[in-house]
Amino acid sequence: MTTAAAQPELRTTPPAHAPLIRVERLRKTYKLGRVKVPVLHGVSLDVASDETVAILGASGSGKSTLLHLVGGLDRPDRQVKNYRRCARCGYDMAGLEAPRVCPECACPAPALNERASIVFDGRNVTSLSARQLNRFRARDVGFVFQFYHLLPELTVLQNVTVGAMIRHGLGYASSAADARARAGELLDAFGLGHRLRHRPAQLSGGERQRVAIARALINKPRLLLADEPTGNLDAETGAQILDALADLREKFGLTMLMVTHDPAVAERADRVVRLHDGVIQGA
Amino acid sequence: MYQALLTRKYLTSKIMPLLAMVAVMLSVATVLITWSVMGGFLRALLDSGRVLVGDVTITWPAIGFAHYDELVADLEDDEMFVAATPVIEYFAQIQLPDGRPTEVYLKGVVPDGFDRVTAYMDHVWWRALDEPTARDEEGADIRLLDGNEAVFAEALDNARSMSRALGDGEAHRPAAILGIEVTGYNRRNAVGVYDYLIPYRTLPDGTEEPVPVFMPLNGEIILTVLPPAKGGGIVAEPVTRSIPVANEFQSGIYEADKNTVLVPFDWLQNILNLGEARRTRPGASMFETAFDPVTGEQIPAAAAGAQVSPARATSVIALARDGATPDQIRQRTREIYAEFAARHPGEIPSPSAIQIATWEDLNRTLVAAVKKETGLVLFIFGIVCFTTVFLVLAIFWAMINEKTRDIGILRALGASTTGVATIWLSYGAALGLVGAILGVAASILIVHNINEIHAWLGSAFGLVIWDPRVYYFVEIPSDIVPINALVVLLAGIATCIIGAAIPAFRSARMDPVESLRFE
Ligand SMILES: Nc1ncnc2c1ncn2[C@@H]1O[C@H](COP(=O)(O)OP(=O)(O)O)[C@@H](O)[C@H]1O
Ligand SMILES: [Mg+2]
Repeated sequence: MTTAAAQPELRTTPPAHAPLIRVERLRKTYKLGRVKVPVLHGVSLDVASDETVAILGASGSGKSTLLHLVGGLDRPDRQVKNYRRCARCGYDMAGLEAPRVCPECACPAPALNERASIVFDGRNVTSLSARQLNRFRARDVGFVFQFYHLLPELTVLQNVTVGAMIRHGLGYASSAADARARAGELLDAFGLGHRLRHRPAQLSGGERQRVAIARALINKPRLLLADEPTGNLDAETGAQILDALADLREKFGLTMLMVTHDPAVAERADRVVRLHDGVIQGA
Repeated sequence: MYQALLTRKYLTSKIMPLLAMVAVMLSVATVLITWSVMGGFLRALLDSGRVLVGDVTITWPAIGFAHYDELVADLEDDEMFVAATPVIEYFAQIQLPDGRPTEVYLKGVVPDGFDRVTAYMDHVWWRALDEPTARDEEGADIRLLDGNEAVFAEALDNARSMSRALGDGEAHRPAAILGIEVTGYNRRNAVGVYDYLIPYRTLPDGTEEPVPVFMPLNGEIILTVLPPAKGGGIVAEPVTRSIPVANEFQSGIYEADKNTVLVPFDWLQNILNLGEARRTRPGASMFETAFDPVTGEQIPAAAAGAQVSPARATSVIALARDGATPDQIRQRTREIYAEFAARHPGEIPSPSAIQIATWEDLNRTLVAAVKKETGLVLFIFGIVCFTTVFLVLAIFWAMINEKTRDIGILRALGASTTGVATIWLSYGAALGLVGAILGVAASILIVHNINEIHAWLGSAFGLVIWDPRVYYFVEIPSDIVPINALVVLLAGIATCIIGAAIPAFRSARMDPVESLRFE
C-alpha cells in the first residue's frame, strides 16, 4: 500500500500513473450540538483506475462518511488545524510543537493547517462549487447503498432512468430514448428485463439491489461507491450481486470503492484497506 | 424532468396531499360562490333601486317648475337621452278601505311617458299569468287561476291607462297604482307570490267586519294632500279626493313598495293647483279698477294685470341611452338645463339651484354597498387563503418529512437543492391548479343550480336560507363574473404554491447525508 501522506509537498504535477482518486488528509468532524465528534482524522488513500478497493472497518468507524465525502455528497472539514494524529499510525502528536516526523513511525509529520483534498481524475473535488458537485455526482459517481434506497413511487425502469433525468435536466427529452435503452440493457443484464414496470416493493432484496446498481450505472460513471452492498442480503444473493459487479467491471472497466464488513466481499477486491480510529491502516 | 415525473407520481399515489387539493378546491369554491351570490344580490338590489326613478331626475320640490314640456322635449332631442317625462312628487295621507290611514309618497305620472322612461308596466303585479313564477311549483298564485283572466287582463289595461270604471258600463275615472305593500292586504308567501287577504274593519264596539274589497277590482282610497299655499301665503288648505285603484306594483325595494302611490299626472297637477292658471298681479286689490284702453269702460284692474301662469311639475325624469355613465348623464343634463334656463330667465330655478340627481345619487347607500363588495370579498378571500396556506403548509411539511430519504437519494444522484425544491413547488402548483379548477367548476355548477339546491335543502332538511317572505327576489340572484373566476383561480394556485414554498425551502436545505441516514 502506498500512502499519499508520505510525500505530499514534493508532488506538484500528477505522476504518470496518477490514481483515479487521490484522497489526502481527509478530516471530518460532526457536530452534535456543541460537542464536536471527530470521525475521520486525516484519511489518505489512492485508488487506481479500474481498481476495486474494499474498505473494512468496525461499525461507526466512518466508512460511510468517507464514501460520502469521496462521492461529493458531503464536504470535509475545511481547515486542518492542530494536526494531532499521525496519518499513518494514528500517533497522538498533541502538545508537540510542529513535529517534523512522527515520533512513533517516523513518517514525515504533515504540516499544520494543511487542507484536505480529494482529487478525482486531476480535479480537486473539495474545491468544487455546489453546482459542480451536483454535476460531479450526476456524471462521475454512482452510489449503491445498503438499503437500496429506491424511490417507492417509481417503477423499476423509472428508478433507473431518474439518474439520467437528473443529469440531463430539461435536455432529457432528447436523450430519453437512449437512457431507456441503456436502462433496459442494464436491467436485462441483471435478469430484471421482465420487471421493468414493477414497483420496488414488489421485488426481493437482491432484485432491488440490482436495480440500485443499474441506477448507479445509468450515466456511465467512472467510479462506483458501494456502501455495504451485500450487508442486507443473504450470502447467496450477496454472491450474485458480487458476480454481477465483477461482470460489469470486466465489461465497462469500473473503479470501485466498496465499504463492507463482509469478508467474502473483501476477498474479491484487488486491495483491502482498513479504517480504524479515523485513519486508513494498511491491510 | 424528474420533477415532472415525481409530481405526476405523487399526484396519483399520495392521499394526504389530495387533502391540500380539496382544501384549495373548497376555498376557491367558497370564495367564488360567496362572491357570485353577494354580487348577484347587490346588483339585483341596485337594479330594483333604478325602478321608477329613471337615470336622472331634475327636481324643484313642492312648488315645481314651469315649461317642463320644453325641458322634456330638449332632453328627448338630445343624443344621450332616449325618453323623458314630467313627474309631480308630493306627500299625501291616504285612507284605506278598512279605515286605516297611512302616509304615502305620491307620484303624478303620464302613463305612456313614464312607462317609456321607467318601464313601470313590467312591475305591475296584477295580471293574468300562463306560467307560474319561478318557485311557485304548486301554482298557488291567484293570478294563475281559471276564471280570473278577464279581471286581471282588465286590471293590466287599467294600469296602462291609469284609469278605472267604478261599475259596469260606467266611464273610466283617473285611478291610482299602489305599491304592493301599501295596503297590507298582500302578503308575500314562501314561494314569493302574493296572497290576497280580505281586510277587516274594526268597529267602535271592538268587533271586526270583513270589507269585501279586492283593490284592483273595486278598491278605492281616500287621499288628502296639503297643496302649497296660494299666493305665497302660509295657510295651506287640505284637499281630499277619492280615487279608485287600478292596480298595484312591485318594484323590489320595500321602501318604494310600502310608500309609493302612482296617480295620473293631470289629476295631481290639478288638485295641487300646479296647472296653468290666471294669476292676479301681486299687490292688486280685488276692487281696484282700470279703464279699458279700447272701449274706455271702467273694468276690474285684475283682468288687465292678470297673467297666465304656466303649468308646473316638480320633476322631469329621463332615461339615458345604454352605456352612458352617471357622470356623463349628470354633466349632459346640467348643460341641457342651462340652455333651457337661459331661454326663460327669471321664470324657472337657476341652473345652480336646480337639483339634478342620477339614479346612482339616489341610491347612494346601495351603490356604496356594491362598491364595498369587492373589499369585503377580498377580506373573506384573504382569511380563507391564509387558512389554506397553512393547511397546505402543514400537509407539505408532513409529506416532506415522509420523503426525507427520497430527497437524500435524489441529491446523491446529482439533484441540486433548487431541483429538489422545484419538485415540491411544481407539485404544489399542480395540486393548486387541479384544486382551483375543480373549485371553479364546482362553483359554476352550484351557482347555476343554486335555486334547485336551495329548494332541495328546503324539502330535505327544512332548511330555508333564502325566504321570499323576507327577500324580494324569489330566486337567489347570482352570477359568476368570468374575471372574478379567473382571479379566484389564480389565487387558489398561488395559495398552494405559497403553502408549499416553505416546506420546499426546507427540503432544499436538508443535508443529503442526514437525509440518507433518515429512517
Ligand atoms: N450527522 C451526524 N452527526 C453526528 N454524528 C454522526 C453523524 N453522522 C455520523 N455520525 C457518527 O459518525 C460516525 C461514523 O459514522 P459512519 O460513517 O456511518 O460509520 P460506518 O459507516 O463506518 O458505520 C458514527 O459514530 C456516527 O455516529
Ligand atoms: Mg455505514
